[in-house]
Amino acid sequence: MKKPLDEEQLRVQAKALFDDSVEQLDAATLSRLNQDRQKALQEIQIAGPAVQWARWVPAGGLAAAAVVAVVVWQGAPVEHSAPAAGSATDFEILLSEDSLDMLEDLEFYSWMDAANLDSGSDVG
Amino acid sequence: MAKAREDWRMSACVGVFAVSCSGEQPKEVTTLQRERQLNQFLASVERRALRFAEIAVRDRDEALDLVQDAMIKLARKYASQPEEEWTPLFYRILQNGIRDWYRRQAVRNRVMVWFGRASEPEDDYDPVAQAPDPMGRTPDEQLEVRQAMRTLELAVADLPARQREAFMLRTFEGLDVAGTAVAMGCSEGSVKTHYSRAVHTLRDVLGDYWQ
Repeated sequence: MKKPLDEEQLRVQAKALFDDSVEQLDAATLSRLNQDRQKALQEIQIAGPAVQWARWVPAGGLAAAAVVAVVVWQGAPVEHSAPAAGSATDFEILLSEDSLDMLEDLEFYSWMDAANLDSGSDVG
Repeated sequence: MAKAREDWRMSACVGVFAVSCSGEQPKEVTTLQRERQLNQFLASVERRALRFAEIAVRDRDEALDLVQDAMIKLARKYASQPEEEWTPLFYRILQNGIRDWYRRQAVRNRVMVWFGRASEPEDDYDPVAQAPDPMGRTPDEQLEVRQAMRTLELAVADLPARQREAFMLRTFEGLDVAGTAVAMGCSEGSVKTHYSRAVHTLRDVLGDYWQ
């Protein structure tokens, strides 16, 4: 008659059988396990920089929003008014009849300009 | 004077380089070390984890998926934890995966019963039987060991879930009571109770087969 199995005997025998079955895993299974391990390690590489980068997203967003707000608030009136004023002035000059006369008397104006210079130098 | 100023500039540049290197290098080394440690840990535990899951779910492909999920979750969430905590954490993740698998199976079986096609685990499943023996044993010896392992697997698989978890973690993985409690997510007293009941049942079942 067999003796009853005691706890230690059960533990040792069960562990030995389990270890034996682990050792007998085939190459295809070991290869799959290796691939799965590499995938898992890639997760840690991806998670690291992404988490660090994500930490700065709120601060970066706030800074960008502040820069945009300042540019819109200060830059917008200058950009819209200056070209409008300049183009209107050019338009008036082109339409005025005096400007056409001035083009006809270019020599006179160049002489007067030279005379002014001379008189300016005399004064100086 | 000018040469002295140039020498001072050079030394300042070297100093800045050294500071920048010393500022970045430890962090990089730490990350690489952590990755290497995790690789070693997973390599040391993956085979046993596979057999662990395989005995529980009795399907190698399902067991491989469960182990893969456990490895990814450990790497993603707990890689920064102290290394000595990885073993119970890993087996806790794996246990949770196995429990979820059983829940899904239960739901699936209920649906199949509704449609008149309930599925049961195949009792003739024996993945080890297909592998060649690396220890050079005779076919009779191999057969004896396989039959013993198969008997053990069936007996362990028939245990209630918590008893099975306690027995496998304590006996197969060699975790102590505290580590098993962490892995099972219960108290140490519960671990002792479940383990004791499992051993009692297995002694009765396997006593007729084992000397």
